[in-house]
Amino acid sequence: MEKPLRDIQMTHIKYLILASRQGKVRLTKWFSPYSPKEKQKIVKELTPMILARKAKMCNIVEYSDHKVVYRRYASLYFICGVMPDVDNELLTLEIIHRYVETMDSYFGNVCELDIIFNFSKAYDILNEILMCDGSMAESSKADVLKHVMTMDSMEGNDNLDRVLS
Amino acid sequence: MAGSSLNNFIKDVRGAKTLAEERSIITKASAKIRTKLRDDHLPLEKRRKNIQKLLYLYILGEKTHFGQVECINLIASEEFADKRLGYLAATLLLDESEDLLTLLTNLLNNDLNHPNKYVVSLALTTLGSLGSSELARDLYMDVENILKGSRDPFIIKKALQCIGKLITKDFTLLDIFDTKLITSILENHSLCTHGVLLGINKVLQSILLNHETFQLSLSNDGYADDSKPLLNELVKIIPELLSLLQSLSIKNFEPEYDIQGTCDPFLQCESIYTLRLFFEQTLDLSQYQNKFCDLLTQIATNTDGAKNCGQAILYETARTIFSLNLEQPLRVLGVNILAKFLSQKDNNTKYVALNTLLKVVDQEPETVQRHRKFISKCLRDPDISIRKRALELSFAILNDVNLVEIVDQLIGFLAGAIDDDKTLIVYTVENLVKILESHNISDEKWKLSILFESLKLAGTYVTSDITGDILISINNSKDTIQRRNLVVDMLMISLDETKNCEISEDNIAWLIVTIWCIGEYADEILEDPSCRQALSETKMTNFLVLQDKTFNISNKKLINYLLTAALKLSSKFKDSGCIEALRQIILGHTKDSDLLIQSKSVQYEIIFAQPQSVKKVLLETMPVFERRKCMKVGNTSPELKKIHKSTDKSSNVALLDLGSENDKKKDTEVANSSTPADLLADLFSSTSIDENTKNTSRNGKTVQISVSATKIYDSDTIQAYVQLISCDAGSAQIELYLKSSKAISDIKPFSAVPRTQKLTLGQLYPGNSLQKDEVCSQVLKITGTGKLKLRIKLDFKLNGVPVEQQFDYKFEQTL
Repeated sequence: MEKPLRDIQMTHIKYLILASRQGKVRLTKWFSPYSPKEKQKIVKELTPMILARKAKMCNIVEYSDHKVVYRRYASLYFICGVMPDVDNELLTLEIIHRYVETMDSYFGNVCELDIIFNFSKAYDILNEILMCDGSMAESSKADVLKHVMTMDSMEGNDNLDRVLS
Repeated sequence: MAGSSLNNFIKDVRGAKTLAEERSIITKASAKIRTKLRDDHLPLEKRRKNIQKLLYLYILGEKTHFGQVECINLIASEEFADKRLGYLAATLLLDESEDLLTLLTNLLNNDLNHPNKYVVSLALTTLGSLGSSELARDLYMDVENILKGSRDPFIIKKALQCIGKLITKDFTLLDIFDTKLITSILENHSLCTHGVLLGINKVLQSILLNHETFQLSLSNDGYADDSKPLLNELVKIIPELLSLLQSLSIKNFEPEYDIQGTCDPFLQCESIYTLRLFFEQTLDLSQYQNKFCDLLTQIATNTDGAKNCGQAILYETARTIFSLNLEQPLRVLGVNILAKFLSQKDNNTKYVALNTLLKVVDQEPETVQRHRKFISKCLRDPDISIRKRALELSFAILNDVNLVEIVDQLIGFLAGAIDDDKTLIVYTVENLVKILESHNISDEKWKLSILFESLKLAGTYVTSDITGDILISINNSKDTIQRRNLVVDMLMISLDETKNCEISEDNIAWLIVTIWCIGEYADEILEDPSCRQALSETKMTNFLVLQDKTFNISNKKLINYLLTAALKLSSKFKDSGCIEALRQIILGHTKDSDLLIQSKSVQYEIIFAQPQSVKKVLLETMPVFERRKCMKVGNTSPELKKIHKSTDKSSNVALLDLGSENDKKKDTEVANSSTPADLLADLFSSTSIDENTKNTSRNGKTVQISVSATKIYDSDTIQAYVQLISCDAGSAQIELYLKSSKAISDIKPFSAVPRTQKLTLGQLYPGNSLQKDEVCSQVLKITGTGKLKLRIKLDFKLNGVPVEQQFDYKFEQTL
């Protein structure tokens, strides 16, 4: 896939895939433009590759023309594609961890089922943590939670308005 | 209950017992959603539910295009829940190329000016992720106005992120970008939350990365102007950034941003990266240089390297030092940071450290050397990716002084390697052979013993190319006595039934080398009385007969070697029984199903019958082979994969020379009855031709300049050619070729077109460094209107020194 040179040097996560230990995809978010075919190919090739890795191995894998940073939390794998030489793989691990922590506070002891049934919430939280191009948008967990919850309550108010009117 | 139908749907899908059942549930649901969405009178609440289900299908990787319009309908709704879901769905289901984006423009425009800040934030996020260059141009001013008008850090943060992205979408926006946007925020400390600062970093990075292209496009339009007003304005922000970074690295505890005792590693890393981009610009920043260097040193000393978050900052610091190639003390500091990573238990830090050291070994070879101990320890790491990097790095730091030490470690690696390591084993042996050839090694015995040792350990995996290389090395050995001794050792193992279990049955390379050595050196060995006891003509013959039986059908390559060995021995052996047995081997293949082997044995049979005087001349010991230049590794060690793919063309040829090609030549020679001297001349000339045709082969990929390409630029180092591949109304495709007359690296071509046009650059193929006379190419796609003209600026490094060249070219065509 051809991309303008300048696009290549921005620090950002190219995509995030959440996959279960059985290889089921639980969430995908693409920050760089990929065609549906490419998306399918990446998910299909990457998940078994990551699942096959042993626990002691490092969390960075080379895949295709880029690198993949992943971390396993209980039954769920968080997989991020990053730009080699530009992105800081260790920092990406921190970002993943921050995402998990935030969901943990939001759901209270988050587990895979929470994410399966509330995927749109998982997206909402992600959209507050990461910018539209996949780099860190907010380093305060409290701030992220505050805004997600305010928006949640605004949705509730909609319902309230309807009942009242 | 509101959410229940989505939950039920998810439960149904999860409950499916078989894949087929799951498929049928999904197909049914998908069809149902499709029908529902077509119904214009569906209440909004139902629409929302359908879109939620559709999003679940999206996660499952199903087709969702039919819901795209519906996302836009939801966004148009006045209810916040609808808008929120609509925007979420839009960012997931739509992409930049969709025509539907034009429908979005108006909605976004409205919502950007919405009284509710969360609606504004949703619109900003969506604009950022979907913004095509048209959207960027249409809505940029709205975003800028939000930034100017708002006092809310949340909105400012979102607007900054959006602007950063819009600039990468359309760099001409830099023309109207106002640096006051940023400075005014920085002046007001109450606005500067970390989120806002991250946003500012993003905008700065975006400007710095796009500025060069922007500047080129300006000068291309005739606004030739070397002053960089925008950058000169931005430079004033540097002190701000420096002091921000400094305070972050000292600050001990701020609960909101603290991670295990480190203050906001995210912001620290982003700020370091932004500063790095500043210093990479061609600006005079000498007044800030010292401060920046001091700060990096301070971060390196103050940051706690025991935890991942601290390590991330240290890693960023080290990378910055090498990327800017800062002064020597800092480079040493950088290497030491990475070496410390190597000594720790954590695999991730080991991996990034090895990876980075591999890149900087040229910049600071001595310091990297000092940490050899840790590198060699990584050769035994349980993680294969770490072993791989450690191998590459071992080869990269190898020099004449540490040669013996490192090679011994590598042999140790081979001895401990497991089946998973196949590619690593091949890589190691391949490079070991090259290293042994390219370095001047006086101890011939050691060199040969390493060759035999690696064959013994890794012969099962090595390719026939490497086997050929090893044969050449043995053949070319200057110390014939040492060689004989080692060959004797080898035969002692192979021919002795009690010992040959040391060698794996699959070790074909070992067998081939044994067979070849018997054919070449049997007479030398038997001359030595001490060997005659253990190694007799009969034993060798029996060995060959046994191999012939074992591999008759399964390994034709080995049979090729076997036939040649049998023929060679016919002039060396005296025992008539043995000679007859050898003849039978050859005879046995005259009806072989493999045509090459068949014709070879028929011809060998004829030579076999020739009188001794004729044979002696024909079957003399092989002459010394000339090595080709490509046998070089070491400091330039490219990455494993690349070496792997490139399996040098020339060593391929060498193998053929030794094995079959050579024999074919002999055969034709018998037919033409020309002299042996001619034969050799022939042999070498064929290899030299091969070298000439080698051309631009790297990674097995070559680029050749198209015949119809026009030369547009010529300097003493580089020539540029272009070819217009297509030129239709509104779009053109051009291939740019760069041919180098010297070895250059880090080539970065920057191209620019007039402002009425938009340029998309392909990647440089096959890579960004060129050897002498090699060619690389890049595809340029231009869309827009107006005269087709290009301004190209080439940045590259000649012997490590940066060079910049620039030129223009006008095509006759107009878009």
